[in-house]
Amino acid sequence: MAAHRLRVGPSAIAAGTTAALLGLVALPLAFVLLQALFPGLAEGSLAAPLSHLRALLGDDALLELTLNTLRLGACVVLLSALIGIPLGAVRGLFRLPGAALWDLMFLIPFMIPPYIAALGWIMTLQPKGYAEQLLGLHAAPFLFSFPGVVFVMTLNVFPVVYFAVSRTLAGTGSRLADVGRVCGGGPWQCFFRITLPLALPAIAASLLLVFAMAIEEYGTPAALAAHAGFFVLVTGIERRFSDWPIDLPGASTLSVVLVLLAMLAFWLQRRLLGAQVFETTTGKPNDTARRALGRWQWPVTALFAGVALIATATPLAAIIVTACLKTLSGGLAPGNLGLGHFAAIFTEGEAALRALTTSAALGLGTAVVTGILGLLVAYCVVKTRMRGRVLLDALSVMPNTLPGIVVAVGLILAWNQPFWPATPYNSWLILLLAYCCLLIPYPVRYATAALAQIGDNMEAAARVHGASLLQMLLRILLPLLAPSLLASMLLVFAVASRELVASLLLAPTGIQTTSLFIWRQFEQGSVGQGMAMSVVTILMTTTLMVGVTAWQARR
Amino acid sequence: MTTARTLSALALAAASLFALPAQALTVYSAGPGKLIETLAADFKAKTGVPVDVFQADTGKVMARLQAEATNPRADVVISASWDSAQDLDRRGMLVAHGSANAQKVAPQYRQPNYVAQGLSVLSIVWNTRSGTPRPADWNDLTAPAFKDKVTMPDPAQSGASLDLLSALQQRQSDKAWELFGRLKANGMVISGPNAQAMNPVLQGAKAAVFGAVDYVALGSQAKGESIEVIFPKSGTVVAPRPMMVLKSSKAQDDARRFIDFVLSPEGQARVADAYLIPARADAAARRTAIKDIQLLPEPQGNENYASRAALLHRFSTLFGRR
Repeated sequence: MAAHRLRVGPSAIAAGTTAALLGLVALPLAFVLLQALFPGLAEGSLAAPLSHLRALLGDDALLELTLNTLRLGACVVLLSALIGIPLGAVRGLFRLPGAALWDLMFLIPFMIPPYIAALGWIMTLQPKGYAEQLLGLHAAPFLFSFPGVVFVMTLNVFPVVYFAVSRTLAGTGSRLADVGRVCGGGPWQCFFRITLPLALPAIAASLLLVFAMAIEEYGTPAALAAHAGFFVLVTGIERRFSDWPIDLPGASTLSVVLVLLAMLAFWLQRRLLGAQVFETTTGKPNDTARRALGRWQWPVTALFAGVALIATATPLAAIIVTACLKTLSGGLAPGNLGLGHFAAIFTEGEAALRALTTSAALGLGTAVVTGILGLLVAYCVVKTRMRGRVLLDALSVMPNTLPGIVVAVGLILAWNQPFWPATPYNSWLILLLAYCCLLIPYPVRYATAALAQIGDNMEAAARVHGASLLQMLLRILLPLLAPSLLASMLLVFAVASRELVASLLLAPTGIQTTSLFIWRQFEQGSVGQGMAMSVVTILMTTTLMVGVTAWQARR
Repeated sequence: MTTARTLSALALAAASLFALPAQALTVYSAGPGKLIETLAADFKAKTGVPVDVFQADTGKVMARLQAEATNPRADVVISASWDSAQDLDRRGMLVAHGSANAQKVAPQYRQPNYVAQGLSVLSIVWNTRSGTPRPADWNDLTAPAFKDKVTMPDPAQSGASLDLLSALQQRQSDKAWELFGRLKANGMVISGPNAQAMNPVLQGAKAAVFGAVDYVALGSQAKGESIEVIFPKSGTVVAPRPMMVLKSSKAQDDARRFIDFVLSPEGQARVADAYLIPARADAAARRTAIKDIQLLPEPQGNENYASRAALLHRFSTLFGRR
């Protein structure tokens, strides 16, 4: 019966994955690049190539924006490493009271859209903000400055490092470090010479993600540092897209600069860590038992609580409080509190509910597609010797540096051409394409880091015992990768179900997502109702995450 | 005979089955989301023509139009900036809207190829609990009481704010730049589009917005926020919201019907509900009417005219924006 079982070879997988990535990432990117080269592309003309470049390159703003972007990215990476690596190491290696709670607390920042978190911080720390209403102090000079942007952004993204470090260290266990101890190494020596180097690929990959996220984020620098005269490439891009007459070529050129910056970081990461991959998942049982913290238990727990309080509880509280205030100008007064904004969401027609289901469905779809693709890309890059696998790797990280609006414009340019017989444009599919393009880096990074540590002999053993490639992928690699892959898919779901910037431009006529709903409320001056919708969205994604994690833990 | 009749009935049924989702009209609209949704629903109820809406701010609407230029999708565009309509018209992208109801719109708010949907007015929005004296004119915001307490929407991102800047420059020239210089010295900050300038004033971090779009603030006021919308006594500017039919539209007749509908008494009542001033002079507003607002005098000739780019550049340089 099964004599003609479908045989899928590595080359078929590689070809399919490459094709998918080319369509998903390279196509829209290529159109952005073409637009940067041919200013008349959007009107269907290839005339006067590069004619706009002189004005742009002659403008000293370009250099300033580029340097500012680098400075911002570097500072956010540094601070994220300072917070994420120690916390992640402790979480991965030791028995920590309330470990699951801290994991959840550090996941929540992903479910809060960055522009909402920034708004929450503004409403807390600006003069007459919640902090001043409660405690009589404000921190406007700090918040509306470069350090303020770095602070708020780091709190949003450091969990990427925390999760990468903690999961990797939990996976590698302390067996190798124990060998070091037996051979006479001190505990710190073994940590810095054995345990930490083992986690280096994961740390580097997560720092690269953080860098990419920091240079791509628009809302926070625009809201916080613009007053201080600090502008970055993304704000420059956004400006060229929203200022009439729209400067598509200028915006595309700045986007290309942004992509080049990220590629530089990507190249640097590969250069520095190219040879440093250690196989720690060998098929032999690992001693992953965590150690006791001893007398450090309570100080360390207090540290986790402190970070969670600042990074998660504060912006979350600001969002919830704003959602419960009848009027903003009324301030924190008993008579001014109420649940009217929540009631309005569920009573004023079904628009809000439809937006919620649309976003949930799109988030789920994105998680599934990027999860599968991420696994395949990681496999091709790490486990095959196919030519151009570095290119595949680079392609999969590129979108993370692209502002949503650039991906959106690339998708319009690519898919609204009259020559396509059928197009996803102006249907929900275009949003799915946009989200998949923007979020493919997460599963790829996580899966690549995890896959690099799985010994080749496991695969060889499976093949020797007669397993097909597909069987080996599904029965050996997938279960080993499942925890990291699932974690990254949950992240993708959280981020996709709240994506704003690309949705703003790409939303098919008649389709509304939660982020669009929230944005429209803000635009119309209903901050309270927008925040109420944010609370509902955050609650929805959190419930799902807790559910999946609990289900996973029970298995 | 009966067979023929049955057949033709069947054919008709089949045809109606395919034709049933009548060719939808695609409208790109900047501005109040609820307004365009209600207008779309009303129009469908009245004519049976479904309306697909893309709603965003003016910048996003224009960016989408530009990116779609090889294969345009929109039939009707409603923008928040008069200037964008003029520009699209100059490029030959518009056709006459042909609305009979447009005759009821004051001449300065209608052109053959575009016409106002409604009007908003640039104003000072003042937080009544801020402990600052009630400002009556633009100049009052340069007083020491308003030190570090004023925001202004970024004219590069808010079309209406640019209209104000442009009008002040055109009609007062150096005096306008002096005013901006003093505002800057008094610590006024430029912040994003309209909503971003308004939020700090709602919470009380700032006391007033210089040049806010009035209808949004009037909506917030109606919800109980303690703010007041003040029309400066030295005069302000009307920002008409143009509607236009694209030449590339394949449903130009329906598009014209839509514009005519928005300008009907029924459509204008919806516009009034959003706290905008209806474009038609004979429609009632739910707020201060245009005749009760002091407007800056119409320019005499174009001697002070500065191009958008030059204007924005000078403004951005003054406030150190990139």
